[in-house]
Amino acid sequence: MMQHKNLSAAPSASTESNAHLRLDGLTKRYGESFAVASLDLAVPKGELVALLGPSGCGKTTTLRMVAGLITPSEGRIVVGGNDITAMPPYQRDMGLVFQSYALFPHMSVAKNVAFGLEMRKVPKTEIATRVKDALAMVRLETLAERKPRELSGGQQQRVALARALVIQPSILLLDEPLSNLDAKLRDEMRNEIRDIQQNLGITAVFVTHDQVEALSMCDKVVVMKAGKLEQIGTPVEVYEQPASPFVASFVGRTNRLEGMAKGDGTIQVGTIALKVPTRTRGPVDIMMRPHRIRLLEATRDPADDSTNQIHGTIKRVTFVGDLLQYHVDVEGSEIIVEAASDHGRGIRNVGMPVTLSWRVEDTMVFGRSA
Amino acid sequence: MSTAAAAHPPYSMPRVTLGRAGTATLLLLPIALVNAMGFIVPVLNLLRMSFYEALAGGGIRETFTLASWSGLFRDAFYVDLIVNSIVVSLSITFATLLVSYPIALYLHRSSGRWRTFLTVLVISPLLTSAVVRTYGWIALLADQGPIVGSIAALGFTPPRLMFNTTGVVIGLTEILMPYMILSLLAGFGRLDPRVEEAAMTLGARPSQTFWRVILPLTVPGIALGCLLCFVLAVSSFITPKLLGGGRVFLLATEIYDQAIVTLNWPLAATLSMLVLIIFGAALAVYARVLRVIE
Amino acid sequence: MEAGQTSVPMKIVVFILFLFLLAPVLLVIPISFSGEQILTFPPASWSFRWYVALTQNSAMISAFWTSLLLGTIVTVLSLLAAIPAAYVIVRMRTKGSEFLYNLFTAPLLLPTIVLGLAILIVFASAGFLGSFWGLVIGHLVITLPYALRVLATTLGNISLACEEAASTLGGRPFTVFRRVTLPMMAPGIVAATALCFLVSFDEVVITLFLTGPRLTTLPVELFHHVESRADPLVASVSVLLILLTLAVVMVVDRSVGLSKTFVK
Repeated sequence: MMQHKNLSAAPSASTESNAHLRLDGLTKRYGESFAVASLDLAVPKGELVALLGPSGCGKTTTLRMVAGLITPSEGRIVVGGNDITAMPPYQRDMGLVFQSYALFPHMSVAKNVAFGLEMRKVPKTEIATRVKDALAMVRLETLAERKPRELSGGQQQRVALARALVIQPSILLLDEPLSNLDAKLRDEMRNEIRDIQQNLGITAVFVTHDQVEALSMCDKVVVMKAGKLEQIGTPVEVYEQPASPFVASFVGRTNRLEGMAKGDGTIQVGTIALKVPTRTRGPVDIMMRPHRIRLLEATRDPADDSTNQIHGTIKRVTFVGDLLQYHVDVEGSEIIVEAASDHGRGIRNVGMPVTLSWRVEDTMVFGRSA
Repeated sequence: MSTAAAAHPPYSMPRVTLGRAGTATLLLLPIALVNAMGFIVPVLNLLRMSFYEALAGGGIRETFTLASWSGLFRDAFYVDLIVNSIVVSLSITFATLLVSYPIALYLHRSSGRWRTFLTVLVISPLLTSAVVRTYGWIALLADQGPIVGSIAALGFTPPRLMFNTTGVVIGLTEILMPYMILSLLAGFGRLDPRVEEAAMTLGARPSQTFWRVILPLTVPGIALGCLLCFVLAVSSFITPKLLGGGRVFLLATEIYDQAIVTLNWPLAATLSMLVLIIFGAALAVYARVLRVIE
Repeated sequence: MEAGQTSVPMKIVVFILFLFLLAPVLLVIPISFSGEQILTFPPASWSFRWYVALTQNSAMISAFWTSLLLGTIVTVLSLLAAIPAAYVIVRMRTKGSEFLYNLFTAPLLLPTIVLGLAILIVFASAGFLGSFWGLVIGHLVITLPYALRVLATTLGNISLACEEAASTLGGRPFTVFRRVTLPMMAPGIVAATALCFLVSFDEVVITLFLTGPRLTTLPVELFHHVESRADPLVASVSVLLILLTLAVVMVVDRSVGLSKTFVK
């Protein structure tokens, strides 16, 4: 807990001065329960920030409060120094891309994109050129006169993006924009959205429950759980130095063991002593990423100081194409190890005794509150 | 980006708005006015009217008397009228169920365009005025009509099918069929053909499958259809008036006669309230039936 | 025999029952071409005389125009009152929304004979009897609940997202309503229009209480005609009525089908 406060405070403090979007103690209550509880966040100009978390963590509620579609119970939303908390959505100047795209079914693609400009009383000739440019940006010039229902999911997605961007919003908001696309298209759109965002240099907030999207696209990742902020950091920070077991297990796969830290850099897990990179004391959770563990022939050779080594028996082997997943029984606990599959060669069999080995620095330790 | 923001009106709006509650009230005003003028006030007034005293020649004294109510239960004519209305309505409900069930079951089992076509056939009478349909029955059931004629041609004594209760029951049964069929269909949603298949693979003959599986599963639809038809039958006016030819006395026709011909409004109001009480009772029975089968 | 199949005897029964259901409506068509003085079926001779008689029956004709005008005005007013009401009840949802919806659709639960009498008594003292606008209000009492029900259901099935999108794009509430909500409600509006018109055009019982000697609608005129004498004139009117209903239904099917292609 101490750890996460430090981590989350550090980046927001350093960017406070040049923050383009700032949330101060933003809170949404429904009766007794909190959808979002006192959220502080600062997004510098031109950054793409992901709000990442499981469903019900308050990420979409946060986004909708920023857009003005939900009124906060407490707190402030500040954009470029102006407090916009009480402003209705139609004055906020935000481009919002909906999960369902929310294209107007009765208007053509061009009319959809032109809508925001018409609301702003932009002259007709200017609307025409700006709509054309926006559609060119998302490579849909040729489909301008189609109706939304005549487009594929990916095309609808790009119309929604063009419609949100053509008004040159001060902030682009994306609510799970890729969740309705198939896997291949999702990869493509991920790059496309990131490219457009960087080319325009626009500040953007991206809501997702998919850690791959958050890590691969965004400058910063905000991990949320039950309406609260768990960690803010760069994708590397969040992955390599998770602030809590929740972050560790939500961002990437992990193994989890329970042990007792002795305060001397070792932790007792059952009969096994593990070396760890901290000197904390007391009950702890230990986590290791499955792909950071190596699977060796059973050996009794002692490990060196920078390596942990434990022994177990293979319980199950799963072949997942490019990956082999071994479920290894270690003193009654199950540890998952992932290894690259080499043309299906060298697969170890169930029942084989094996040794698991990983570097001490790859052992993540979290103190457990009693 | 900053230029675009600057081109926008400053972050304030002219607040000449009514506020949310004010706007909502204003938008609801027309419907609320009609509802108050044409529904709430008249119905409350009708309730009050049932306790006024009727004077000879259509006059009304605004007192509080139970005369109309007690009169209903002391006068043998009205006791008969009420009992008769309920019995006739129950017969109509039962007859409607009997003739509607096969159609509903058949519709439920058909599919595609055929089903759409049949559904249109079922609904189309609903779009035709009750006056027109009753007129059709007058043509069919008349003494010189085709039905009576055929029966006579077969050598039987020709029955009277019109200007009596029989005619009213036949006409109303047909008129209420669409309501019953649609209610049954709504209730048939739970009827999965696989359940029938299961019953058959377990050795049930078609008749057994019907009585032991299909019928129990469709009870909710039957209950809904019967409630609807009973309530519509008790309060129906056009068909009893025209097919009864003034010789069949039911609640609805009596309300009309008291209100328009005799000009005894307190009595007409009392009879109306009685119809509503019968509605309530029917609803209570329906709720009870639903609870028992759940 | 497969489960879910209908046996041949059962099919015959279903056919006969369908015949029973449709007989009175189908019957008026041949009767309208009767050449007889009185109502008989089958007619002994055929002619167009009852259609000719209809063109000379000024009471029927003026009743028809009254009904047409009444139905049109009632339909327009129903839409004007029910669309905002549906919007408030569905989109500006508060604790009282459910209650208001139930209250405004409650007139449908009352039998028309009771509702007609109730309105008669109040309108009699207000001097609304036999007046056109009295009829309009009487009809609105039952068309508004239908319109509200159809429109509220339509609106409830439309996702809020499009309106929210329009709002974030700078659309003020009324602009969003006019340019996004209303066009998306089109199928419901067409259905409500047809329903209101047909309900008003066919209404007999409430109208019977509210019409006077100078003012009568077509169904009421038909009712009185059937009550007093049985001749084939009513059949010829009925055929025209059926054709009119058919036209309305086809227009609805066309336009709802059209709007369906609009709204996915």
